[in-house]
Amino acid sequence: MAEFQAEVFQNEYLSDGATDVHGVVSITCSGAGIAGQSSGTAAAEVIIVDTSGSMDMPPAKIAAARRAAKVAIDEIVDGTWFAVMSGHTVAQMVFPPHPGLAKMSDVTRREASEAVSRLRSGGATAIGAWITAATELFNQAPAGQRHAILLTDGKIEGEPAGALAAALERARGVFQCDCRGIGSDWVVEELRTIATALLGTVDIVAAPEDLEADFEAMMRNAMSRGVADARLRVWAPQGSEVMFVRQVAPQVDDLTSRATRISPLVVEFPTGAWSDESRDYHVSVRVPPAPVGNERLAARVELVVDDQVMAKGLVKAIWSADTNLTTRIDPAVAHYTGQAQLADVIQRGLAAKSAGDERTATVLLGEAAKLAHDSGNEQTTRLLAKVVDVVDVEAGTVRLKQQVAKSDEMALDTRSTKTTRIRREP
Amino acid sequence: MTCSSCGAESLAGDTFCEACGADLAPPSSPSLLDVPPASPIVDDPTADGDPTADVPRTHLLTPTSGTDGVDLDDEFGVDVFAPCAACGAAVADDGFCTQCGHKARTRREHWTETHGDHVGAVCDRGITHARNEDAMATAVTDAGLVVLVVCDGVTTAPDSDRASLAASRAARDVLAANPPVEGAFAARLSAWERTLHLACRAANGEAVAVARALGDPPEPPSCTFVAAVVDRDLVATAWCGDSRAYWLPDGAPGEQLSLDHSLGTEMIRRGMARSDAEADATSHTITRWLGADSLDPTPEFRALAVDRPGWLLVCSDGLWNEASEPERLQALMADAAAAGATSPTALAESLAAFANERGGRDNITVALARCVPQLP
Repeated sequence: MAEFQAEVFQNEYLSDGATDVHGVVSITCSGAGIAGQSSGTAAAEVIIVDTSGSMDMPPAKIAAARRAAKVAIDEIVDGTWFAVMSGHTVAQMVFPPHPGLAKMSDVTRREASEAVSRLRSGGATAIGAWITAATELFNQAPAGQRHAILLTDGKIEGEPAGALAAALERARGVFQCDCRGIGSDWVVEELRTIATALLGTVDIVAAPEDLEADFEAMMRNAMSRGVADARLRVWAPQGSEVMFVRQVAPQVDDLTSRATRISPLVVEFPTGAWSDESRDYHVSVRVPPAPVGNERLAARVELVVDDQVMAKGLVKAIWSADTNLTTRIDPAVAHYTGQAQLADVIQRGLAAKSAGDERTATVLLGEAAKLAHDSGNEQTTRLLAKVVDVVDVEAGTVRLKQQVAKSDEMALDTRSTKTTRIRREP
Repeated sequence: MTCSSCGAESLAGDTFCEACGADLAPPSSPSLLDVPPASPIVDDPTADGDPTADVPRTHLLTPTSGTDGVDLDDEFGVDVFAPCAACGAAVADDGFCTQCGHKARTRREHWTETHGDHVGAVCDRGITHARNEDAMATAVTDAGLVVLVVCDGVTTAPDSDRASLAASRAARDVLAANPPVEGAFAARLSAWERTLHLACRAANGEAVAVARALGDPPEPPSCTFVAAVVDRDLVATAWCGDSRAYWLPDGAPGEQLSLDHSLGTEMIRRGMARSDAEADATSHTITRWLGADSLDPTPEFRALAVDRPGWLLVCSDGLWNEASEPERLQALMADAAAAGATSPTALAESLAAFANERGGRDNITVALARCVPQLP
């Protein structure tokens, strides 16, 4: 049986008249078990492989996709409902041969692998149609964890603008989707839109030979999510306003707009399936001020599975006249505020760069270099160094590199939301 | 205790102020005191060295009425919360209001006791203190005896809230176990003096027992003590420390029955004006208290023959810091009554609210008994 624990990091002391309360709620899951086995309902997995014409240029891409799909199939545990689809102008069943899901066993695993080895490329990239087809498959699966892996190498063409948005609207809440772009001809924003809507990750696999390992890790991770569906429930007091609810670790994801109001004071956010892992949430609430000496709950943050509260964290406000207390900034809140800013300046900096606004790009990416350095985010520092030359990291001064591999820029973009965890004092 | 140089709060046992380093007055400096030794109770056969010897273990008695359905022992186990004080809504089991989010008061932080239409009391955390170290215990016996006990835990000694609650209940139970005393007034007075001494001893025994149970910490929990009994036309009170008893008769000047065991009293005794002494930062340093580290846990006694209707008020310094003069207290009660507070509990709540409006800088306990003298 999975267990959850919640821990709150905040400075609860507010000065007289202050209204804004910040807290980081760290939620840790343990004993999650295996997907589809602890909850009593089987999990469902769909692998969607882009087989548009471009996957043959070079042919190494389609070959890598075949191998990666096989490795992913090998990771799916017996008893899981699964399917493999090839995506081009339409979505086509690879295995099972007719629309539907098969139950994983030695036999179906072998048959699916054989079917995957016959994948051929040709046609356009119509991701909206693929998502719609996957949604239809998942709707036939029993309730439980539903997860897809989507691989593409190109940008959407061959379907009307708006097709993707409409498809995502139908898919939202039906399944989670991890997205991977192979090569550098795909569009980060498209895959990020899908991953964000469907509670998944997005990443670049620049070299085809790295695809296998990535698919293996991704599917293994999906199989370790024994908690099929959890929601973050946030209560805030009467007269208050939830300013934002943001996942800040392991990656930044602003949940605020995904709130569902379930009662006048309570909203819920989907968080998808959980494995044994920790996720941190930064919650900000504006509360009506109370006189010095008063204590008030600013947010009750709960993790809910099947309508059962599994863990609870309390974000509090205590009004005080003691400036030693009220001026302190909680290290976790400060760190994650910085990490969210870091993701924001990188994305805006790269957008400015691709729009030809080099001055803005230089300023923003310089700010990013400083934020990444100051927070000890080494991965982002490394990725930034492939796009800019750092002149003075303390001052945040950089120069844009003249020659930048497009895949390096895309890696920086897709991974900008990855955060480092704050070093916790013992 | 407050630093006389800078006004910062300091710990009772501290020798120097944490804020400015000034020398703090010691809690009981013999050179400053001229307190006569408490008179020994010559006719008390139990007056030997053991503070708990032969004292009836009356804390086994449970109050049959008056705590308004409150089991304060919950405080030491599962927290039980009153409805939200800010908006009246229900309180979640995590201790915060389900609607406005205000931190709920536990029963230990605010409770009332009511007996019939003539006895009411409130014990309140106040505003700035984190815990309610005040405690009270009240009773009206079947024979009509009224018992009011207030103990004010010493904030700077940890767990004084436990000591004060145990002590006040022990004293109440000793007192409530007695029947009204018959006989000549002087004999009744002597009998109550003895009983109040025993009650104080039982209270001290409980305060010491709390320290023992905690493994004798270096700062043992400690508290003040004041108890009052109304036996028809006789009001008898005993105290140890600076919690007070007042007699506030209708249409006549009131009087403070107790005399604080504090440096403030010494200042007044040496000729300082009362208002000046009470404003002095060191005046609150108490010179007698109950607990394992008490040098002199014996009470002083005072009795009064009541010849007209009035109020007996027993309170902690959380109230009298804001209104010390008897006439001020009488005026406050008249204002509260005019505003519709007619029951003793409502009057007590009004006085506590008054102290909270003035900043609630200390725990506040107010116990009131309406006295209409009947001859025995």
